[in-house]
Amino acid sequence: MNTWIKVARYHLVQPVLYVALPWSILAFTFLVNLTILGFIPATDGQARYVGALSSIYVVVCTAGAVMTFRSLPFGLALGASRRSFYIGTALLALATAVLYGLALAVLSVVEGSTGGWGVSMHFFRVPYLLDGPWYLTWLTSLVGLALLHVYGMWYGLIYRRWSIVGLVAFICAQIIALLGGALLATWAGAWDSIGRFFTNLTASGLTGLLAALTAVLFAGGLVTVRRVTV
Amino acid sequence: MTPAISITGLTRRYRDQFALNDVSLDLEAGSITGLLGRNGAGKTTLLRILAGQEFPSTGSVQVLGAGPAENEAVLRRTVFVREDQTYPDFAVRHALRAASWWYPNWDAELADELQAAFELPAGRAIKKLSRGMRSALGITIGLAARAEVTMFDEPYAGLDAVARHLFYDRLLADYAEQPRTVLLSTHLIDEAAGLLERVVLLDRGRVVLQANADELRGSVTRVSGHALAVAEFIGGRPVWERRRVASQESVVLVGALSEADHVRARTLHLNLEPLTLQQVVVHAAGTPEAGIQLRTSA
Repeated sequence: MNTWIKVARYHLVQPVLYVALPWSILAFTFLVNLTILGFIPATDGQARYVGALSSIYVVVCTAGAVMTFRSLPFGLALGASRRSFYIGTALLALATAVLYGLALAVLSVVEGSTGGWGVSMHFFRVPYLLDGPWYLTWLTSLVGLALLHVYGMWYGLIYRRWSIVGLVAFICAQIIALLGGALLATWAGAWDSIGRFFTNLTASGLTGLLAALTAVLFAGGLVTVRRVTV
Repeated sequence: MTPAISITGLTRRYRDQFALNDVSLDLEAGSITGLLGRNGAGKTTLLRILAGQEFPSTGSVQVLGAGPAENEAVLRRTVFVREDQTYPDFAVRHALRAASWWYPNWDAELADELQAAFELPAGRAIKKLSRGMRSALGITIGLAARAEVTMFDEPYAGLDAVARHLFYDRLLADYAEQPRTVLLSTHLIDEAAGLLERVVLLDRGRVVLQANADELRGSVTRVSGHALAVAEFIGGRPVWERRRVASQESVVLVGALSEADHVRARTLHLNLEPLTLQQVVVHAAGTPEAGIQLRTSA
């Protein structure tokens, strides 16, 4: 058996965290929102946005961190190389993103055809991002899930290698990078064109940007994992 | 025979602390070696480097002919059981199932047998296991993996005496059936003594002693009797310790004794008492020059 596949199977030996948890949390928030909106009478035809879809993204991000932080030591003890462990884990992230994204796309189609579950609720349909055709919803969800999963994995690795000091430094470095970018944009007087760029950006264009960011995060984790010791 | 493990000039530094300091060591394939030393001597660091979990600062290690770090061809043939192993949120059976996929020589029957012998509850979460039970899980994985290079780091912390002897017996039985290279770090030296063919003693990151266990056992003797007789018997040979009460003296003599020595001891009415492996090791770890004396006399 290929090591990457073995790593993915290793994570799924105990599927509670990676399969049961994201979906039960999502189902729970869905039911809570549905109940609340059921109480409040709807104004005619007005869409009601709830934003609770983010819960699945948060859980997936956490799962990524747990996969690298908690599961790495025993994975290495079993004979995986750091590289294989990381790539196998990322492949699992991608596979779950594909499946979960598809499920989210299907649910958003159902939501559209049932008049927002009968209460005009926009749970799975997020304006601008996730309200195009189903395949674009799938693609965007997929990229978003993969992005957060890989991002979480990087956090887990940083914490495993440099613990809390490293984690804080990692977060600060990201803030400094953003701040530097903002300062640079101010000095270059580029805010106008940046604003124009984002107003003209389509949802699929944004998806492309996020996909590129995912690749960068993946590469960052791959460089980090080489230095991890257990 | 080609060495299964070959270590050359290995140093591992943490800031200004030397966990390992210029360690060179060859371990032959098909032997059981005890890695001994006090807490903080560098045993775990050495094993972690051999298992590819930690990197050397300088120097090199070869396991089964190649560097272990990031080398799956080697790692697949190696198993490393450590006392402080971190597991994911697994139950016992999850860990065993995962292990069964990874080790090419995994012996499922043996795993079941050990699990029953140690009374390991398959469904219990690992983090809820007692210390001894966690050790039993590690031992089960380490033995059932049947890896060519098998490394145990303090494998029986918290295990009761019965379970420890179960481990020794199973290790020996399995080793006889399928010889491999076993490296075992332990503090229970006399208990494991019967198992060990070689011992390597680390002290503050250095190898202070490496010897054949049988030779070592016979190589240090406590000689006691009348002070004049003891002095005559010892002559110019190296000693570790002299203790004198009135006319009686007791001296620890380094070096194997010949048949003639035994005869002379009898005529001089001297009492000869070989030191146990543990006594030898305790002494050698306390006085670095003791190891050098042992090596030159062996």
